[in-house]
Amino acid sequence: MAKLYVQAFPPADLNKNTEWFMYPGVWTTYIIIVFFSWLLVLSVFGCTPGTAWTVVNLFHFAITYHFFHWKKGTPFADDQGMYNTLTWWEQMDNGKQLTRNRKFLIVVPVVLYLIALHTTDYQQPMLFLNTLAVSVLVVAKLPNMHKVRIFGINAES
Amino acid sequence: MVRLPYTTALTTLFSYGLLFAFGQLRDFFRKFVDWFKAKNVKGYAPICLGLEDFYVRRLYLRIQDCFGRPIASAPDSWFDVVERTSNDNNKTLQRTSNTTKCLNLGSYNYLGFAAADEYCTPRVIDSLKKYSASTCSVRVDGGTTKLHTELEELTARFVGKPAAILFGMGYVTNSAIIPCLIGKGGLIISDSLNHNSIVNGARGSGATVRVFQHNSPAHLEEVLREQIAGGQPRTHRPWKKIIVIVEGIYSMEGELCKLPEIIAVCKKYKAYTYLDEAHSIGAVGQSGRGVCELLGVDPADVDIMMGTFTKSFGSCGGYIAASKEIIKHLKHSCPAHLYATSMSPPAVQQVISAIKVILGEDGSSRGAQKLARIRENGNFFRSELKKMGFEVLGDNDSPVMPIMLYNPAKIPAFSRECLRQKVAVVTVAFPATPLLLARARICISASHTREDLMKALDVISRVGDLVGIKYFPAEPPKIAEAGHDKLE
Repeated sequence: MAKLYVQAFPPADLNKNTEWFMYPGVWTTYIIIVFFSWLLVLSVFGCTPGTAWTVVNLFHFAITYHFFHWKKGTPFADDQGMYNTLTWWEQMDNGKQLTRNRKFLIVVPVVLYLIALHTTDYQQPMLFLNTLAVSVLVVAKLPNMHKVRIFGINAES
Repeated sequence: MVRLPYTTALTTLFSYGLLFAFGQLRDFFRKFVDWFKAKNVKGYAPICLGLEDFYVRRLYLRIQDCFGRPIASAPDSWFDVVERTSNDNNKTLQRTSNTTKCLNLGSYNYLGFAAADEYCTPRVIDSLKKYSASTCSVRVDGGTTKLHTELEELTARFVGKPAAILFGMGYVTNSAIIPCLIGKGGLIISDSLNHNSIVNGARGSGATVRVFQHNSPAHLEEVLREQIAGGQPRTHRPWKKIIVIVEGIYSMEGELCKLPEIIAVCKKYKAYTYLDEAHSIGAVGQSGRGVCELLGVDPADVDIMMGTFTKSFGSCGGYIAASKEIIKHLKHSCPAHLYATSMSPPAVQQVISAIKVILGEDGSSRGAQKLARIRENGNFFRSELKKMGFEVLGDNDSPVMPIMLYNPAKIPAFSRECLRQKVAVVTVAFPATPLLLARARICISASHTREDLMKALDVISRVGDLVGIKYFPAEPPKIAEAGHDKLE
């Protein structure tokens, strides 16, 4: 079997917390992890595929909201606190909006939402939970929300 | 630019994701365990965030036996590595009194001056008796000896600049003098893979810092045009000055700077150039004068040349070589010159002797032989590694050659297995390198013999097969030899 080779260029992004997202294979790994999470939920809980997609969507919402939009700073003391007030999403791509990676991260929750709705046949209460999750994630990722803290929520330090 | 199999990229990212997930999970439960031991004094903010040492706690400590290994002899081509043990899964390491004699592929001993030398060592011992081990003083107080003055003149002559200034520490040469050259209202354009000392110096200067893609003159021109057109932030006034900072050899890549193209772009847009030759001075070029000599660039075209004595010259400290006016300004304003202890006189003598050997002023041709040998050794080793199927970064004539490992599990596997086979290598991983691009960095020395290199190649080939880091097909045996055999 012939190997598929890709090329990796060092990006002009000095933030080690966000630099890893610019290398080849990140999108595929992201999608594969989501898919295997679905398989895992399906096999562990033994539920219907639709319910599994809903569980995956909600877990994806919880995890990505926490790590991309809530948690601030970087896990490296070398940065000397210059990112302490920024979330991962605000640090990404040096703050530049509407980049390919940002668009990918907006599309993923939307596609997950559509898959979850379709496989649950648009039934409640999955419809409400899925819509709530995707709304929060997409709104948080809009360019207008860059460095915005609604009512000062998560604004300390 | 690195080529890697797509499956390797996927498995590497998955591995790091798994390590990150388990680390976060342990931190999550650690919060509950520590909840009842709350020691925070009321009203005081924490001194440091727990987030900031996540990498050290959850990733680095697991394999810290592969880093920072102590040695028990001079770092020549063979040296003694101290063995360490751990009874708590590498959280702490204890040294033993046992040592292992290993082939040294990890030191920056490019010209072999790290061990005793027939010309340098007697002179260093003499200067030790004459001047003592340290001046215990700053340069502008009692810390300047005849040796310091002589080395400054010799360094300026060696690199081809009118004047030079010495510093006692290589890192400080960058981090303390960049704030003296540029300040608020200035623009620093830095290569994305520049050393941490340059990054910290740029941050400390107060100037605006922009980054261009590694070794890409096209992107540098793009950034320059954009920043010159846009001007300073918010006010859009013209920049007071612009400095482009690049390195001669990038120590994590083994790659030579594209200096002629970058100089052309800087001249076109009237930006200053700052060249960090920490690794390249003494190691490349026909007579060891660095990348300017190797790539055919006139030293007068580079505004500020920086280098260290810690690698090819077997000593410590660094220098800045530039015009007389710049050096005079640095001598009056640089804190590393005004407040730091001056370079140790025996260390200064070591550099003086090493430069004289390189220039042939010791009355022999050993310097030229050393330079020829490191070039031959480096090119031989690199071509053999590539034939075996390793992904080797860097350019020809570079003594640094990183071997790509990628997966985080292969970092300790390669390092430990090579040590077991008596070959000492340095592995480098995130955050010193990008997440996806962990590597083992081989540094070739002029003191390596051909037998040493053959043994190293044999060990690395076997360990590479065992660990699975030959990502490309090996080169088949030469057809000419086969044809020759057929003729016989």
